[in-house]
Amino acid sequence: MATVRELKAAARPKSGKGAARADRRAGRVPGVIYGDNKPPIGVSFDHAEIHQRIYAGRFLTTIYDIVLDGKKHRVIPRDFQLDPVKDLPVHVDFMRLGEGATIRVNIPVRVIGAESSPGVKRGGAVNIVEHTIAVRVRADQIPESIEVDVSDLDINHSRHLSDITLPAGLQVLEAGDATLVTIVPPSGYAEELKAAADAVAAAAATAAAATAAAAAVPKGAPGATPAPDAAKAGDAKAAPAKK
Amino acid sequence: MLQPKRTKFRKAFKGRIHGTSKAGVELSFGQYGLKALEPDRVTARQIEAARRALTRHMKRAGRVWIRVYPDVPVSKKPIEVRMGKGKGTPEFWVCRVKPGRIMFEVDGIPLQVAKEALGLAAAKLSIKTRFIERIAE
Repeated sequence: MATVRELKAAARPKSGKGAARADRRAGRVPGVIYGDNKPPIGVSFDHAEIHQRIYAGRFLTTIYDIVLDGKKHRVIPRDFQLDPVKDLPVHVDFMRLGEGATIRVNIPVRVIGAESSPGVKRGGAVNIVEHTIAVRVRADQIPESIEVDVSDLDINHSRHLSDITLPAGLQVLEAGDATLVTIVPPSGYAEELKAAADAVAAAAATAAAATAAAAAVPKGAPGATPAPDAAKAGDAKAAPAKK
Repeated sequence: MLQPKRTKFRKAFKGRIHGTSKAGVELSFGQYGLKALEPDRVTARQIEAARRALTRHMKRAGRVWIRVYPDVPVSKKPIEVRMGKGKGTPEFWVCRVKPGRIMFEVDGIPLQVAKEALGLAAAKLSIKTRFIERIAE
């Protein structure tokens, strides 16, 4: 369930790109706190701290108490922007959480049992189709992740939303029965299957031809296949004596 | 090699590559990826060479996504031909890559193998790139 962490912020009285850039030059990351029918507040955070929090993981599913001018604001991060080249934080959005708020949040999917999956053992790769599941949940009941067990999945088999048991109190907002995880074949798998099928078909055809030939020629008729013993005797006669 | 099946026009302007990438800057499919740090035209040959290096090092394991597509034809004039008399014939296909663009994504392989494979792929490209990993969720 959700843990509450603390984050220090400074007020950011001026808005707009000029003020935001000035904040970034000063080693801070501009942000905003909005929601809960209250006016938005411009804030800024220490760059190193917000960078560490984002890259530590589970940033968007963790509840924070933002300490601003000695007052605490219960919030949840809604979005963060990264520089497209350097991947450094540029802006962070936080949404205020009222008492007993129910919010929409994307819960990450965690795959378990991949090592024991027959598909992975045969060389397949776990392909996470949906990395997150959108759910509506009480803010104090946000699960860390939704586990998807793939221990019995073979190649080309999938695990759907209807196949998993969700924690209590979650209302799924995904449309339809979304595919969460599939085991995809390794490269060359299709060619391997085709080659195996061709080999089986060729073996079957050879066997069928041999059976047909044996049935078509009656035993003892001229041109009939000699019995193994006869063949051996013939070979012995035909072979010149080596002396 | 990648190239469009049919196009509206046979020849394209040379163009310039300005600014940073707006789309395709985050990992969408895989766990690891290769991000472009410079603007340049990447040819279909380079993309194919990078893909081969990637898949061969991964040894049939895992999965690869190519996030760029060479859809710009580049024309050339034959050698020893004077200027003028119209634009040359299309010779090869390129993709205009802006800084920040994710070019390749891989999944289903360990971190070390992904780093090595994407490093080999990066060596086939004409631009500086960086190995990136999905932010833990």
